[in-house]
Amino acid sequence: MVATWYVFVSFMLIAYVTLDGRNFGAGMLHWVVARTLEERRQVIAAIGPLWSWHEVWLVGFGGTLIAAFPRLMASAFAGYYLALFLILWSLILRGVSIEVGGHINDRLWQSFWDFVFVVSNVLLAVLFGAAGGNLTRGVPLDADGNFSMAFFTDFRVRGYVGLLDWYTVSVAIFSTAMLAAHGATYLALKTEGPVHDRSATWAKHLWTAAAPLFLAISLESWVVRPDLFEHAIRNPVCWLGLLAIILSIGTLVSGLASRREKRAFVASNLLLGGLMGTGAAAIFPVMLYSTLKPENSLTAYAAAASHGTLLVASVWWPVGFALASTYFVFVSRRYAGRVSVRRDNQGYY
Amino acid sequence: MDFTLSDPAFWSRFQFGFTLIYHYLFPQLTMGLAWFLVYWKWRALRTGDDEYNKAVRFWAKIFGLNFAVGVVTGIPMEFQFGTNWAGFTRFAGGVIGQTLAMEGMFAFFLESAFVGALIWGEKRLGPQYHFLAAVAVALGSWLSGFFILVTNAFMQHPVGYRMEANGLLGIASLRAYLLNPWALVQFAHNQMAALVTGSFVVAAVGAFYALRELHPAQAQLFLRAGTRIGLVASLLVAFPTGDQQAKMVGKHQPVTLAAMEGRFEGAPMAGVALIGQPNLAARRLDNPIELPGALSFLAYGHFGSYVRGLNEFPPNVWPDNIELLYYSFHLMITLGTIFIILMAYATFQNWRGRLRSTSWLLWVLTLAFPFPYIANTLGWMTAELGRQPWLIYSIFQTHDGYSKVVTSGDTIFTLIGFIGLYFVLGVLFLYLAGLEIAHGPDEVVTVPKEEYEAGVAGR
Repeated sequence: MVATWYVFVSFMLIAYVTLDGRNFGAGMLHWVVARTLEERRQVIAAIGPLWSWHEVWLVGFGGTLIAAFPRLMASAFAGYYLALFLILWSLILRGVSIEVGGHINDRLWQSFWDFVFVVSNVLLAVLFGAAGGNLTRGVPLDADGNFSMAFFTDFRVRGYVGLLDWYTVSVAIFSTAMLAAHGATYLALKTEGPVHDRSATWAKHLWTAAAPLFLAISLESWVVRPDLFEHAIRNPVCWLGLLAIILSIGTLVSGLASRREKRAFVASNLLLGGLMGTGAAAIFPVMLYSTLKPENSLTAYAAAASHGTLLVASVWWPVGFALASTYFVFVSRRYAGRVSVRRDNQGYY
Repeated sequence: MDFTLSDPAFWSRFQFGFTLIYHYLFPQLTMGLAWFLVYWKWRALRTGDDEYNKAVRFWAKIFGLNFAVGVVTGIPMEFQFGTNWAGFTRFAGGVIGQTLAMEGMFAFFLESAFVGALIWGEKRLGPQYHFLAAVAVALGSWLSGFFILVTNAFMQHPVGYRMEANGLLGIASLRAYLLNPWALVQFAHNQMAALVTGSFVVAAVGAFYALRELHPAQAQLFLRAGTRIGLVASLLVAFPTGDQQAKMVGKHQPVTLAAMEGRFEGAPMAGVALIGQPNLAARRLDNPIELPGALSFLAYGHFGSYVRGLNEFPPNVWPDNIELLYYSFHLMITLGTIFIILMAYATFQNWRGRLRSTSWLLWVLTLAFPFPYIANTLGWMTAELGRQPWLIYSIFQTHDGYSKVVTSGDTIFTLIGFIGLYFVLGVLFLYLAGLEIAHGPDEVVTVPKEEYEAGVAGR
């Protein structure tokens, strides 16, 4: 039961990161793939009508987390206090920049909101990346299951660690590159003309850059948490994840090489999902690892709501999820195809 | 209680209250306006009159802007359960998490998947599907309100839970939890209040156009729908929903009812204070003018019923700010009464065909739109201040619920951040909504293409 809910919660987070990750990536590349104001409107139009739909997956994840693992929500969210508020504020600025940029047909107005759009997306990619690194490395959890963390301490990965150290910064750089590559792949699928061509080029470069970074991160992870690898080898889900990663890398390379942009984008989603899924399977059952003492670590079993409560949630949650998947099909069909500002004059975007 | 700069519980309360009051300015319009869009879309389908479609196109743009601000200010609400109220989340997460997750899974996904189709999809979807998109968005927004109110109702009147072996709360009966009588009454009251906000805003824009002699057909449409629905909703907010809500408080939170009315001595034939100032030091209501027997009747159905006073309860279970609670409640009721009178008169004048020539009334309608927002806020202040000192009524106290690891400095810092960011957001929203209103419903949906390209070429 607890393991099932661990899968549900991980799936919601992975779905959010792959769905909104394309927007982070597109936002980070906004200035380099789109040079004129009209080209920039095209980037916004590619993500415009969908950003709130994507962001709602974060709300779905948060609600599911409270219901299934209330102790984790309590420990982690209070412990990451300031970092979380930076994420929230960036999300607010990002959403506003998408919504209001096109409202007024003025060069300065649009340039300003384009700037906000880029900066907030870069911050979001870096912060989510660092948060991911924190999940692997662990946090200074005390015997009561609480922690409170500074932005940085001595940049080492044991003891009283901060949000940022050499390991989490490398994970942040890696995930920023990955999300940028993901966004470029998305833009190549959704746009046309010069924006499309630049996005396709950036996608190739960024995925190429991500490969050595991935090796470096794997090595670093092995140094920081050697136990994870021993754990992963014995976990069949990790082998499945590894298989998904290898398959999606193959598909991605062939998609990029043959300019089959849909295939490349599907592979890009699978690759992100495979990486995060493998990571989630490798750390299970520990949800928050303690850098002070491994026995302080918060496991899924200790963090979960009672069996009866999880059982009740198991009745309705799949129904909600099935409905959400139905809307997903509707949304994907409704907004399928490339956008072009000249043809798809969609309101303000 | 001693609230100082170094009291983290106070600052977490302040931050949650501030961000929640601000956030709720937006969903109340979303929930109110959504049914106007459904109604006009339905009329357009039935009559084929394009004026209705024009009205939908115009209001859908304001709806979209409002919805976006609602989404971005809503996410901090869910996160703050973990960041600032870790004690509460740990203790009650198994229960309240159910509805918080349901809100995401059942309501937000529905609403956000169709809101884009509602705002931009008219041509692609065709009239029938566009109508359905409006219904989906309205349902989604009301469902989301329902799940949040179930969550709040659990904090007001906990049902359907059980204490687990580890001392934390779990769900005993999902049905009892979702069908909490408090939640049903509160939902009806709250949704009618949202409809009041929606109709005042619609009527205000109609009155503004009528005063400026702009868009006459649309002005008439807005005025007619705004005043009629406004009258019905204002009446329903008071009776039966507000009345039932007061009875609910009298039944389950008698000390709160006493504090809301500033009653220190218990008495039969208790009156409703029309005027008066609670004086905590002397434990009495100063300068009261009371309607005798009214409180007994409203709370318990008989003029002679005994209503308990604050003196019958130990002060440590009194709401911790009785003055603010008393004034919030009384001001809300005063405003609600004025709403009924205003909307009844405006509906009457409109029925006689005189509304559009009665310029003072149009002025009043134009300027009245902020007051339902104030009344909604006051209602929520009554509910939340009245619940104190409990976070979950009679089970869990507020000062046990905040995050012990978060210092007051952290919270003051983030609170200042929210105040700054939300100020900018408010200015932006008012400016852009003002632009839309100035632009009016008669124009095409988008920036004209030639103008847009001229703007691009001229950079």
